[in-house]
Amino acid sequence: MLNIEEIQKILPQKFPFLMIDRVLELEPGKRIVALKNISINESFFGGHFPGQPVMPGVLIIEAMAQAAIIMFYAPENIPGDKQASYYLGSVKVRFLSPLTAGDQLKIEVEPIKVISGAGLVRAKASAGGREVASGELSFSVKHG
Amino acid sequence: MPDLENEIRNMIAQIVEKDPSQVTLDAKFFEELGMDSMMALEIMAGMEKKYKITIPEEKLTKLTTLRETVAVAKEYLEKKNA
Repeated sequence: MLNIEEIQKILPQKFPFLMIDRVLELEPGKRIVALKNISINESFFGGHFPGQPVMPGVLIIEAMAQAAIIMFYAPENIPGDKQASYYLGSVKVRFLSPLTAGDQLKIEVEPIKVISGAGLVRAKASAGGREVASGELSFSVKHG
Repeated sequence: MPDLENEIRNMIAQIVEKDPSQVTLDAKFFEELGMDSMMALEIMAGMEKKYKITIPEEKLTKLTTLRETVAVAKEYLEKKNA
């Protein structure tokens, strides 16, 4: 649905902080299903943890937030707003199962309530059919 | 509606991370309780979920005190039950 070139055009985050590799399903403003492949080459595995690679939970939250940005601000939805800044407001996420190298992280996001300039979304993360994390994120947007 | 008032007070207290006793009927959300627009959105969404109502965006500016917030919830509950 969206490849990495298209994703890079939408997300303000850049290497090495891109947490979405591909978008599988996208209904702008309504729903997104996105993927991140986790490789043993991820730099954070060097320290988290030596000899026991576990993807940091905060980065799963970051992947959820980036998926939410794509869902709301894909070009079809809001054209050409490259100056927007995104601020995470609150995070209520439960982690259910660890992620490691070789896992394919699947993120699903849908809005709970959206107003102009702010939103509250529900996000679910899974890998190979097992639930990894789920919760709610609120954020605000400032258009530049 | 004392129950509605207390339920909403507790919800607000949790979101702004204050003791429910500080959320008096007329304590100002933004100036006195340190609320921001995202917290206000969470309160709106929380009431919508709890009472199965839909509150339009323009009511967000009404949510400035517990008294006003309860009035908004009441208004949409009455509309739902009408």
